[in-house]
Amino acid sequence: MFPLLLAAVYTHQFTRVILLPGFPAVDSFLDFVLPASLVQSVSFGATEAGTELARDIENGFFDRLRASPCMRLPLLLGRLGGAVVVAAVKGVLIIAIFLLFGAEIAGGPAAAVVLVVAAVLLVIAIGGLGQMLAIFTGSQEAVNATFPLVFTSIFMSSAFFPTNLMSGWFREVAEANPVTWIIDPVRRLILEGWSWADVGQALVVPLVISVATVTMAVVALNRKLSSS
Amino acid sequence: MSAVTVDHSTDLRFAGMVASAICGRGMRRIVARPTLIMPVLLMPLIFVVSFTGAFGSLTRVEGYGTDNVFNWMAVYAAMQGAVFAGVGGASTTAEDIENGFFDRLLLTPGSRVPILVGTMAYSALRSTIPTTGVLLVSALGGLRLPGGPLALVTVYVATAGMASAFCLLGLAVVYRFRTMRSMILIQVCGFSLMFLSTGQVPLHFMNGWLHTVARVNPVTNVLRFARQGFLGDLTWSMTWPGLVALGAMVAVAGSLAAHQLRRLAA
Amino acid sequence: MTDNVVIEASGLKRTFGEVVAVEEIDLSVARGEVFGFLGPNGAGKSTTVRMLTTLLRPTGGTARIDGHDVEKSAAAVRRIIGVALQDASIDPLMTGNELMRLQAVLHGISRSESRNRGAELLERVGLAGAAGRRVATYSGGMRRRLDLALSLVHEPSILFLDEPSAGLDPTSRLALWEEVRRLNSELGTTVFLTTQYLEEADELAGRIAIIDHGRLVREGSPADLKSTVGSPTLRVDVDPVFLESARSVLIGFGPERPAFEGRCAIGLDGGAARVAEVVRALDVAGVTVSHLELDLPSLDDVFADATGRRLEGAEK
Repeated sequence: MFPLLLAAVYTHQFTRVILLPGFPAVDSFLDFVLPASLVQSVSFGATEAGTELARDIENGFFDRLRASPCMRLPLLLGRLGGAVVVAAVKGVLIIAIFLLFGAEIAGGPAAAVVLVVAAVLLVIAIGGLGQMLAIFTGSQEAVNATFPLVFTSIFMSSAFFPTNLMSGWFREVAEANPVTWIIDPVRRLILEGWSWADVGQALVVPLVISVATVTMAVVALNRKLSSS
Repeated sequence: MSAVTVDHSTDLRFAGMVASAICGRGMRRIVARPTLIMPVLLMPLIFVVSFTGAFGSLTRVEGYGTDNVFNWMAVYAAMQGAVFAGVGGASTTAEDIENGFFDRLLLTPGSRVPILVGTMAYSALRSTIPTTGVLLVSALGGLRLPGGPLALVTVYVATAGMASAFCLLGLAVVYRFRTMRSMILIQVCGFSLMFLSTGQVPLHFMNGWLHTVARVNPVTNVLRFARQGFLGDLTWSMTWPGLVALGAMVAVAGSLAAHQLRRLAA
Repeated sequence: MTDNVVIEASGLKRTFGEVVAVEEIDLSVARGEVFGFLGPNGAGKSTTVRMLTTLLRPTGGTARIDGHDVEKSAAAVRRIIGVALQDASIDPLMTGNELMRLQAVLHGISRSESRNRGAELLERVGLAGAAGRRVATYSGGMRRRLDLALSLVHEPSILFLDEPSAGLDPTSRLALWEEVRRLNSELGTTVFLTTQYLEEADELAGRIAIIDHGRLVREGSPADLKSTVGSPTLRVDVDPVFLESARSVLIGFGPERPAFEGRCAIGLDGGAARVAEVVRALDVAGVTVSHLELDLPSLDDVFADATGRRLEGAEK
């Protein structure tokens, strides 16, 4: 709900803003803000998998795991499964609602699918990060801190405003922010149309991040289990 | 043991002492554990940095009202922080109810209203911490004061008022439901109310339903009042609607909270 | 009602939605008494205390504290009662002194007066040295004693203690009991305490009410209550060769009760007064006694008799 409110408010606030020189050519801010709402909406709840794992760890998860050796990767990925399904449903819903309110996706239905897949990959990336923190710290509180982190990094990206209209250090931060690397190609698919290069970037960036965070989570888990 | 003389003849003085003791207790807790205030301080700081950074070029749109984005966003971030600080103040009561400390307060033979007033005063007082933080960060970003030092006074008045109103609203909910969880509801409500105002862009930038909603939103009046000194000179015509809006919000939330407090013993 | 009754409840009832927490409670406590309110978890003890201390409105019935109705004259009631509630509701971020000051303000005591009074009370409960420290650093026993000191700041004539020693180690428990006894004997404070420890009720209370499922099931002094359960148990250890002759003597004094091997036990009719008589009879029969003990019925027996259940954790 909340990301939709944000999108609705910005769309009605920024009718003049989109006329700024340098702003991408859009009919409505609604088109521009679609990727932001998508990313924001799926990342709410993405940290849940990590929080759950931390709760299990507080309740002696490691000990049970040591007692019964099994594959660790599926164990972690399995916990992300629920979040992935929720993210996919949310993604489809958000896009449907935006289309209903008059947004247009220039890249067509295939681009919409790419959007959802990118969002799902991002959720795995965030979930993996949460799990990694859960394994390292073993505390729910620490994992809960990923939520404001994710929230802030969405705001400090090109999600709500193009980076070329930012200035100073904030622009540098936003341009270096992986969220921007995902948002920008996704947005080009919506505003400009299908392009294999953009599809590639939109999928590879979150894929690389999720592989990285999940791998780190598995490594952390192995190290934790062998260390004590 | 010495005899204790309990003087209830000066009820108002007694009430004042209770309220200030409760307010003082809250502040002492912050001194005892400064991390308690960190979220309340950090949230508006992230806001002021994000909004000025992301939407810096808004100043290039014709009619924005200022050529320095900090002059527009600082007040908005400070007000968001105040709402957060106010709801947080009510959360202290939720915590007290959950762990039983609140019973100690309820056992005062005097009126219970000072408990409510003291908690509100604590919220208003602690809102000065995020407000000061936002103003300092904005000063680094180049905040200017065309309205003079009085501009700062209006920000502190507005944030203290917002914190009070949202603390009272939070208390009404806490007294009713007695749980910490219910606070999230008020937080979302406050956040949305801020969002549906002239927080980020002037009223004439908006169109459709948002224009209507933002116009009737009392927060818009408060923002105008608090922001006037950052956009130009202070005028009475910008001042009184803001003060009325603040007064009305505090009065409505206060009577809701007082009503729930009376029912609390049931 | 006489002037001497300071806590009086009649038909007191409290429901939470469908759940009946307190069904019907009638009780009266005289000035200067230590009254024990005994019952298992969830029996309705705390709910009753919350009603008597004006924190909870009764669904039915009335309660008066020193003549003041808990609903109509709640402020007057709060002025004369001291309350130490369960879970030692103390803010860990405050110091003993700060809490004392707050408590004094809540009861309308002036700053100058509260300073002396607070110091005196903290001294009394042995916390003078820790008064400047945050409660977070206190042990469980220290917190309970602080809670007790706080509840005394306005010199209440009636003190309510809800499970005062729950979760305390034996030493802290003894210290707390000692303090409660002192309050009662030195200042004449009426004490109403709830507990699920039979031992505690036995040690402190002059009169006990047992509550179960929101109803009073027994009431009286610990001795009276125990005597209603029946005679004390007399156990005699003898050399195996004397066992049969010992038994034939003993069953003349009361019904036989289960005993370990090599030991004989009876319910002694007439109680402790007849022990000497038993010893003489055994002597006459030529039985050499190696050990003899008389066990009075415990409150646990009373509780079991009243409810058909044993209290959890009642074993020593």
